[in-house]
Amino acid sequence: MAFYEQHIHDAPKTFLSKYIFSYDHKVIGKQFLWYGILFLGIGGMMALMIRWTLAFPGQPFPVIGNFLFPSTGGVVPPDTYAMLFTMHGTIMIFYAITPILIGAFGNYLIPLMIGARDMAFPLLNLLSFHVAVLSGVLLLAGLFTPLGAAAGGWTSYPTLSTLIGSPGVGQTLWTLAIFVLGISSTMGAINYITTIITLRAPGMGYFDMPLSVWGLGLTAILNAIFLPVLGAGCLLLVFDRVFGTAFFLAGAAATSGTGDPILFQHVFWIFGHPEVYILILPAWGIVSDLLSFFARKPAFGAKATALSMTTITILSTVVYGHHMYTTQMSPLLTQSFMTLTMTISIPSAIFFANWLGTIWKGSIRFHSPMLFSLGVVFVFGLGGLTGLYLATVTTDLYLHDTYFVVGHFHYTMAASVLLGGFAATYFWMPKMFGTMMNEFWAKVHFWITMIGLNGIFMGMMVVGYAGMHRRLYNPFVYEFMERMMPINTFITWSAIIMGLSQIIFVINFVHAVFFKKEKAGDNPWEVGTLEWTIPSPSPHYNFKEIPIVKCGPHEFGNPNLTGERDFQYQTEELA
Amino acid sequence: MSTVLSSSTLNKERVGRQITSSIAMTVILVTFSMLFASLLLGFTVFRITSEVWPPMGFERVDLFLPTISTIVIALSSFTFWKYERLFLIENSEKKLWLGFTTLLGLSFMVTQMLLWRDLHTKGIYVQDGIFPSIIFSFTWTHAAHVVVAWLLLFYLVPTLKEDVSVESLENRVFNIGKFWHFLGVVWLIMYITIFLF
Repeated sequence: MAFYEQHIHDAPKTFLSKYIFSYDHKVIGKQFLWYGILFLGIGGMMALMIRWTLAFPGQPFPVIGNFLFPSTGGVVPPDTYAMLFTMHGTIMIFYAITPILIGAFGNYLIPLMIGARDMAFPLLNLLSFHVAVLSGVLLLAGLFTPLGAAAGGWTSYPTLSTLIGSPGVGQTLWTLAIFVLGISSTMGAINYITTIITLRAPGMGYFDMPLSVWGLGLTAILNAIFLPVLGAGCLLLVFDRVFGTAFFLAGAAATSGTGDPILFQHVFWIFGHPEVYILILPAWGIVSDLLSFFARKPAFGAKATALSMTTITILSTVVYGHHMYTTQMSPLLTQSFMTLTMTISIPSAIFFANWLGTIWKGSIRFHSPMLFSLGVVFVFGLGGLTGLYLATVTTDLYLHDTYFVVGHFHYTMAASVLLGGFAATYFWMPKMFGTMMNEFWAKVHFWITMIGLNGIFMGMMVVGYAGMHRRLYNPFVYEFMERMMPINTFITWSAIIMGLSQIIFVINFVHAVFFKKEKAGDNPWEVGTLEWTIPSPSPHYNFKEIPIVKCGPHEFGNPNLTGERDFQYQTEELA
Repeated sequence: MSTVLSSSTLNKERVGRQITSSIAMTVILVTFSMLFASLLLGFTVFRITSEVWPPMGFERVDLFLPTISTIVIALSSFTFWKYERLFLIENSEKKLWLGFTTLLGLSFMVTQMLLWRDLHTKGIYVQDGIFPSIIFSFTWTHAAHVVVAWLLLFYLVPTLKEDVSVESLENRVFNIGKFWHFLGVVWLIMYITIFLF
């Protein structure tokens, strides 16, 4: 399998080589983790401001409101509200979830789980993080420009994002930031794909890889193929804004010499729909592994799960049109896109059933990573089912642009990915930092997060079904929406509770990383994948000797196992 | 026996690294292909939804300079291919062919600048509508890639030494070569689509 022997690089000695300009995939993974957590905090604070405005219109935002919005006495102004939902969406999708799930765990896990010493191209890996930092700086710089940050929504549809809709520099910086982030993610994708293909340990076939690696690998493929599509859209949008080209300027037809704003939507969603899977596939893979590890059973239908994820990956590339039913698309196209979208239910149902099959009659250990994994099963189920209403043309025409859509995509993209990220963080903490997080507080964190999260997103779907339009600064000026004030207040309190519960996580995390004296064992969760065969935290060279793989990643309950152990290491061969 | 084994191991290492860099380069080319394919998709949308093309008020771009560009970039692909072959057999003439490629790359950029100047002379500017937007933006984007590829040619200077180790530099040569040829193919597609039709 491994195409060549990687060299063991020298241990870094200086602060700069160890923490800033490290070639080590593990350090880069941790850098992405800190980066993602920082943006998660910023994006989360923006979400609270949005929710505060909807629950308590005209009231100043507590504590920091007067500092942030002195001209309005602490009340979030309407133009800032538009910036907030734009930046919140952008930050959470591209700067929080992506770096945590793909940047942090992709970098950290892939070489360890396939038995490699590092990524195939360590320098490219280093560059990918620093380019991501540059992108983050560009994005946040928009907040300090005279007309403020981008305000055209995270999808940045023209004409909202053209010079007519957003005259400030903020939108240009947004577009550049996304383009630059695309370069960073592409660098990562090149590394992930090449590493998985060429550096698997001897004996490790594709179906011997943990499902986490499957998820991360498929994500990398989608990234490599579809990020350039968004890149092209961003490039043309920058040209429109800076050089005066006319690609997305509203106009009747090309014969009049003008462009077409809908073209951007096509380009955006050709990328944007696979992006959903770019975000969620790593979480699916991780959860598929964790359910097996904590149910102490082999993953049910592991091959089928891997193939289902692959099928979804392929289908995700041909369904983008369901985001655009309301753009007066031809009925022939809407029906085609609806059919294709519905087809995704088949592989989704297969691997969802496999998840249930894995935990069925398992000896479940309800540790925090398992709780978060079960949380993913629950919220993804809800998110997936509510997606059917939006895939269907007739119901989508009513629900489009309501809070139902917001609730749906937060269930699928935010909730399940966030919970998957937490599951992964709690699970691989010992291998990353050499310590365990406090289990009691982890469980408290889980339950409050779950309650808060469902309060928010379920509430959003209810108000959306009742017709509450998204993106409105104060929807309650419309008489029919006045009665939705109490439920909006409920959603906001749920958001506040969920937001506050993240402080528990942060304290637990920071304490475990910097202050905890008690070291974790090499294999505290009793799991057989390759990363648990080496010391905790992982040494800089990963494996002294490249391991030889003898079995799959989910081998539990082999009757030939001796002693108390119910799991088999991937390097072990039993009769 | 041990010598045979170690040479076989060395060969395996060499092939392994070749395959690794080749996979990475393929992924890179897929990403660039998608970028240009998206641009061409945009062009296709405007082109097929338009009753007349170029749009009213515009004339077709004079084919002279784009044709020269096509010939130049095709020639540069040939010279690079020649350099690759000579590099592999450690022939000293490789310097000459890499030199030709560098010169042709520079010539291509000069023809692009002449094309942009020519359009300006005729009063066609990028902000004048969708037609000039396409012509300028696409050629800018392609030219930016050619500049990068041209700079990468200088990364091949160490390969010009007489006693150079082919094994240690072959991946560099082949990968830059793939990128160079790829840009030629992209230009050919752009020439056929946005200039000829």
